[in-house]
Amino acid sequence: MLKENGIVKGFCHSVLPAVVTIALAFGVSALLLLFSSHSPIEAFSTLLTSAFGSPSRIAEVLIKTAPLMVMALGISVAFKSQVWNIGGDGQFTLGAIFAAFVALNLNLPGFIVLPVSFLAAFLGGALWGGLAGYLRAKFNANEVITTLMLNYVASYLLSWLIRYPMIDPDGHGFPQTSLLAQQYQLPIILSGTRLHVGILIALMIVLLGYLFWRSSLGFRIDLVGENEEAAKYCGINVSKTIILTMVISAGLCGVAGWGEVVGVQYRLLDNISSGYGNLAIVIALLGNLNPFGIAVSSFFFAALLVGGNTMQLMEGIPFSLITVIQGLVIVFVISRVVYTQWRDNVANRHFNRGAR
Amino acid sequence: MDLAVEMREITKVFKKVAANDKVNFNLKKGSIHGLLGENGAGKTTLMNCLYGLYQPESGKIFINGKNVRIDSPQKAMSLGVGMVHQHFMLVRPMTVVENIMLGLSSKRGPFLDTDRVERELLALSKRFNLNLEPKAKIWQLSVGEQQRVEILSALYRGAEILILDEPTAVLTPNEAQELFGILRMMRNDGKSVILISHKLEEILAIVDEVTVLRDGRLVGQAQVTAETTKRDLTSMMVGRDVLFNFKHETLKTGATKLMVNHLGARNDKGLPALKEVSFSISAGEILGFAGVDGNGQKELCEVLTGLRPTTSGEICLNGKELNRSSPKTFINEGIAHIPEDRHKTGLAMNMGIARNLILKNFSQSGFSSRGLLNFRAIKKNAERLMEEYAIKANGVHTKVKDLSGGNQQKVILARELSSKPEIIIANQPTRGLDIGATEYVRQKLLEESAKGAGVLLISADLEEILQLSDRIAVLYDGQIMGILGRNASVEEIGLLMAGVRTEEVEVC
Repeated sequence: MLKENGIVKGFCHSVLPAVVTIALAFGVSALLLLFSSHSPIEAFSTLLTSAFGSPSRIAEVLIKTAPLMVMALGISVAFKSQVWNIGGDGQFTLGAIFAAFVALNLNLPGFIVLPVSFLAAFLGGALWGGLAGYLRAKFNANEVITTLMLNYVASYLLSWLIRYPMIDPDGHGFPQTSLLAQQYQLPIILSGTRLHVGILIALMIVLLGYLFWRSSLGFRIDLVGENEEAAKYCGINVSKTIILTMVISAGLCGVAGWGEVVGVQYRLLDNISSGYGNLAIVIALLGNLNPFGIAVSSFFFAALLVGGNTMQLMEGIPFSLITVIQGLVIVFVISRVVYTQWRDNVANRHFNRGAR
Repeated sequence: MDLAVEMREITKVFKKVAANDKVNFNLKKGSIHGLLGENGAGKTTLMNCLYGLYQPESGKIFINGKNVRIDSPQKAMSLGVGMVHQHFMLVRPMTVVENIMLGLSSKRGPFLDTDRVERELLALSKRFNLNLEPKAKIWQLSVGEQQRVEILSALYRGAEILILDEPTAVLTPNEAQELFGILRMMRNDGKSVILISHKLEEILAIVDEVTVLRDGRLVGQAQVTAETTKRDLTSMMVGRDVLFNFKHETLKTGATKLMVNHLGARNDKGLPALKEVSFSISAGEILGFAGVDGNGQKELCEVLTGLRPTTSGEICLNGKELNRSSPKTFINEGIAHIPEDRHKTGLAMNMGIARNLILKNFSQSGFSSRGLLNFRAIKKNAERLMEEYAIKANGVHTKVKDLSGGNQQKVILARELSSKPEIIIANQPTRGLDIGATEYVRQKLLEESAKGAGVLLISADLEEILQLSDRIAVLYDGQIMGILGRNASVEEIGLLMAGVRTEEVEVC
């Protein structure tokens, strides 16, 4: 995926598939719109202005891009080594809880509390995902099941925390924690909007992700995903690598939760992950598990989310268009994944036959 | 005598390699016929042609004297040919009857005919002593019983000619005896059976006639009588014509490098696979391991590379005890390993050549610094090794899966030998390679031993063993039957391979 040779080729490998998939989804949506006698041009231009029509809307898109990008990056680390972490939501929630706990209880200046809460959030997510990784490595427990189940545990844990131990004492019994002090909130980078510094942090994490796949640890994870048997043969401790993979993957999901607490909500409340976890899986696959591909894909999905929310308020354009486009993107992404697997299978079969 | 099957001059080619080269095969009616040969000799390919899974490039097939074209398993079944594969094709949650009914049309139109089929199956099962309960679910059955379900299924579909591909590979000895009983009953009933196998005992115990294949060619067909011995069959199987001539100088071997004492290990099923294995390898020496496949070779390699735990004994490299060490330690101590299955174990097929060349040492200082890979060094390393080992490819990033088998093996050789190993464990290093690549691999192993490495060579190819080895150990049933000098004869080795220990065989 990440080629050693040339940025251009790397770009083609990572971003191009995403662009083609998105274009296909829009193309088919346009056909559907035509069949239902709506003007695709009108619909798409409305979508465009809904998402990018004003600075504050662009800001909203970027605010949503950040957590999606970081989470999808986390998911991609696991997927690359064939560990199917679908517990992004739970790990996000744990990250949010840890971050809020630190920010609410550590009475130190912001420049200390923010980094500490960042690390705590990584740790929170990592514990949650590491548990699933440990169960997979030690008992071969299917991580799809464990991470999914841990989502529910996390969600109920959050519900309990914000109703009992962490409830806002002055909140008239409303299930949420008290507001974070101003100095523990991420600084706004575009005045007049809610856009906070989180998007820049997310972009930095993407760059780190690019470096990660060029590191020896990234190579190790890649190898375990490519061929576990060969990895063992090369002296790699596969169990350890799988746990480590889950720790990194889930830790990043936790960091996304940190951003939501200290950058957007400034407190803990129910359903804080708002289903980003599932979107992140689609984004990771749409971006071909490549950091830059993921950056582009998450921006696209964030635009779709924000555009859709705004379109609801307008007349004449079917709001369900957004759901249709999302659905089509998923269909095309899955077709691509299935097609590649099928192609590899055919190639392998051919190969093994020849070797007999 | 009536022939049930006659195959004339069957040729089947895969990727320019002939898996079957003008093979003739005759099966008499009402007999059990053994198809014998080493792995990769083309036994299964030949039978897949008869069962319609493959279409031969040339040759004719006659069934009951009639020239037929078998282009699908359905066609084969309609001609009375049934096959039981090594891997069963059964639906586990369903019952025996349901499995057998799959794909058959019901006589009651849209409704299933379960009761009638069940009655017929019971009768059939009784007749051949298959002892199966049609209502049992597949997952409740033992492996032996599942195999009988496959046989029953073939019989129910009207098979007069039954092909069994390595049927005893998955069975316990008792189950195998039961199976043979069933096969004898089928023979008495006038049916014909083809038994694919590489186990000599089996062949001698049950078959009436045997056909031996080697390297895709027919090497012999014979009646099996009371006088037929394992020795006859072995010499047919391994052949005696010499393919290559190497100048193998008698080297002065140096100090002992690898010492293995009373080694024991279990296989994947938890059964003892290595028993009290002891040997040593000196610097500059090639120790060949002969033996029929599946007698502990795979486990021996895995134990000597840290991939499989030992149950007893010790492994010492240059005086340092290595048992219970991690695979990493074995690699770091200088044990190189050319694995048996290069696709599954030796290579990451979807990665490029450059990456495959550093699989074992990517985290070492030359190739990464401060945790980041040094792509320039990796590329340089690849360019150097590709030239040194004559690896033909478009570039250093060509995916390994796009290379020929010979070039893939060269990638492994380059990686393993460039680490300047103390000991090289080569398991079937030339299997599936063309003549040029085979010669190259053998030459490299000789060069390395001349440089002072100790080589442990496992091969099913007795010629290879005889040409390269300084001493020859023979593995049988997880034990070393004897270690012979390099002048040992094929007969001597063949006897040991068959598990016969004679007094005269000198053990050094």
